[in-house]
Amino acid sequence: MVHVTIDGQTLEVPHGTTVLEASKSAGIHIPTLCHFEHLLPYGGCRLCMVEVEGARVLQPSCTLPVFNDMVVRTNTPQIKEAREFILTMLFSERNHFCMYCQVSGGDCELQNAALDEGMDHWPIPPIWEPYPVDASHPYFVLDHNRCILCRRCIRACGELVGNYTLGSAERGAETMVVADNGVPLGESTCIRCGTCISVCPTGALINRQSAYRGRIVDADHTKSICVGCSVGCGIELVTRDNQLLEINGDWDAPANTGLLCELGRFTPIYEERQRLTSPLVRKDGQLKTATWGEALSLIAAQFKPLADQNGVGLAALASTRLSAESLALFKELFVDRLHAGTVASVEEYFTSSAELDRENPDLVGSVEDIKQSDCVFVFGADLYQSHQVAGFFIKRNLPDKTKLIVIDPADNGMDQQALFTLKPKKGGDADLLLGLIAGINTLELSRNKNGYDLDEFTLARVSASTGIAEAEILNACRALGMAEKPVLIYGKGLTGSFTGDSAESIRLLIDLAEMTGAKMISPRGRANSLAAEAYGLANRFSPGGRHAVFVALGDDRISQRQIQLLEEAPFLAVQASYASQLTAMADVVLPVKNWTEQDGHYLNMEGRLQQTHKALLAPEGIRSNVEVLTEIADVLGYKLQTSWETALTPYTISSPALA
Amino acid sequence: MAKPKISSDWLAACAGCHMSLLDIDERIVEIADLVDIRATPITDLKEPDESGVDVGILSGAVNLSNHEEVAERMRKRSKLLVAFGDCAVFGGVPAQRNLCGLQAALRRAYIETESTDESGQIPGDEELGIPTEVRALEEVVDVDFFLPGCPPDADTIYYVLAELANGRIPNLAGDRLQWH
Repeated sequence: MVHVTIDGQTLEVPHGTTVLEASKSAGIHIPTLCHFEHLLPYGGCRLCMVEVEGARVLQPSCTLPVFNDMVVRTNTPQIKEAREFILTMLFSERNHFCMYCQVSGGDCELQNAALDEGMDHWPIPPIWEPYPVDASHPYFVLDHNRCILCRRCIRACGELVGNYTLGSAERGAETMVVADNGVPLGESTCIRCGTCISVCPTGALINRQSAYRGRIVDADHTKSICVGCSVGCGIELVTRDNQLLEINGDWDAPANTGLLCELGRFTPIYEERQRLTSPLVRKDGQLKTATWGEALSLIAAQFKPLADQNGVGLAALASTRLSAESLALFKELFVDRLHAGTVASVEEYFTSSAELDRENPDLVGSVEDIKQSDCVFVFGADLYQSHQVAGFFIKRNLPDKTKLIVIDPADNGMDQQALFTLKPKKGGDADLLLGLIAGINTLELSRNKNGYDLDEFTLARVSASTGIAEAEILNACRALGMAEKPVLIYGKGLTGSFTGDSAESIRLLIDLAEMTGAKMISPRGRANSLAAEAYGLANRFSPGGRHAVFVALGDDRISQRQIQLLEEAPFLAVQASYASQLTAMADVVLPVKNWTEQDGHYLNMEGRLQQTHKALLAPEGIRSNVEVLTEIADVLGYKLQTSWETALTPYTISSPALA
Repeated sequence: MAKPKISSDWLAACAGCHMSLLDIDERIVEIADLVDIRATPITDLKEPDESGVDVGILSGAVNLSNHEEVAERMRKRSKLLVAFGDCAVFGGVPAQRNLCGLQAALRRAYIETESTDESGQIPGDEELGIPTEVRALEEVVDVDFFLPGCPPDADTIYYVLAELANGRIPNLAGDRLQWH
């Protein structure tokens, strides 16, 4: 521990604490601009300067580690003068028009810093050198006139996301934030995660949708969970007058620590589908507006007779964007009560080790494990395309802090950055896993005495059957075997995961994990894919030949393949938020709320139980998914009693973050 | 003891600051009781008294030679000069002309606009002011008090006028200090 005195206050802080951090812990505020809590200290703006007894000049507190018996003063007249000078320099360097900037009046950290110093004018006028405006990006505009070169965007793009699209070019007064080698943002390697705009302290990065719709600081903020995929990123929905302005990452959320991808941050804001606002019933070949009573009676009339025949004629499909509460009701209604012939989630069959994980909890991995891992194996999943935030945690550790090995017969977005990429012939996963196990044994890197009595001959056989050179297999094994904190990630690309035959591969993966002390984690599919598995909905969906089909779609989309399966259904009832090809085919359509309009529980890929919180009011006449399923049960004469938590408990990690 | 005299004018301005001043509504009667409102751009007298005023208030940026003259005259005749609003304080919206340059702006306005025919020409009459680089007020004359805002809000303007009327220098702190 180190003993320091700040503004007369004495305190003890751990070795390595910066003066800024120490001051904060003592309740002393030091103004900053380039500093951002979740980025490494930069020391660029010099606004945080403090007086350190014995030092010749003022020192930046954000980067300065404390030393024993240090005496610091944070608010002397010299410091105040220095701060005003720095701010004056910043305002004079580029072109700041507070009169019409969208962040002026509360959302601008630069303006706030000046107002905090009591500045009522600019002691030095600007030189009025024009700077460019880059409006090539679909989601935001970069106005260089407002940039103070704090580099938060550049640092975030690299340190947090690992994408490194943004950088700086030239020097001194000519320095500019650039994308790649200096191309328009819209033509760059930007992956549109929007992390840069969430950290910009000025109005330089302009969110096209939320700008000029009122100050963010004055808007309503609701913490919730993104339901774009199974990572379950913590988010903050920013709304005003029942309109969604923007979606920000929740920096306190355990799964994503503030990061979001395009799907989470922007896609929901750019929703273009037509909202369903009233029940629809097909009459004389056309869908016509109907009352809830009419629509529900029609469904009851179709389902009741089929229920009495032990439900073989009934099929039901549910979206995994629905809450656990909805899925539990769906399952109870269609499986337990109606005994429907085929009941599945839109993801259909996906074997995962979830069942098996429970037998060996040491193997269960978390997103935190991905962040800390020194060797990540990815089987049949492209984390640069989907579940991107999980991918960020790998990307940002490349190339020094982690080794990435990708195993995928198909083209994988992660191939280029992987240390090794193995492309077995299609269907060769299980064999390749056997080869990896053999390799680990051959290199004598196994941590346990496993029952595999494999010799090098197996490596040769695997090499022949998968098309991958023995040396390559051994390279991968060496990396895995010597890793301290390996993580095995596997996705739907694992052969057989879609048809239900991947059990063998999963078993081999588990063996490999046990041998190497690795953690296992699967992104699976959409938001509640793990919950769907827990409720027993991970089945093949086969509606062919059934008399009636019910689709609890919510605000989701289904695939073309699934639509084709339903084209011949004699009676199709859909509960959905938006009009689509599916609803156009239906006989009954029930309008439901979307994910921003209802509370619900979601189990993310780690088994973390989280909750969405309602932030918007749905249009009049629309009901929640839970209400609709309950009412269908009602008209059929059932009182649903399931407690949604029960089936999930074995899959739920207990975490202090859940409090 | 004679009431303090206040005189006001505007330069390259949108008049929003004076409109905000009028937003003090009936409190203007109270101000008029405390001070002698001399010239303003919206009342009869247009120029500050030759014998001088106590407080001169100027809104708008300086972007013409005649603005320089008005500013210098107001400075000469005022004991205390106030830069009123973001344009006077910072250069403001008119200062955007500095980014494209005066000549480009004049050409665009008088010759190149889509609705102007071939006879368009930049006015050059000697009675007209000469356009200059756009500047904040204090780049031309010494300013004693800055009242930023676009416009400053009415309550703040009332506070400032009341303080000045009572012979005190206002203190813009907290919510009163804003630049938007």
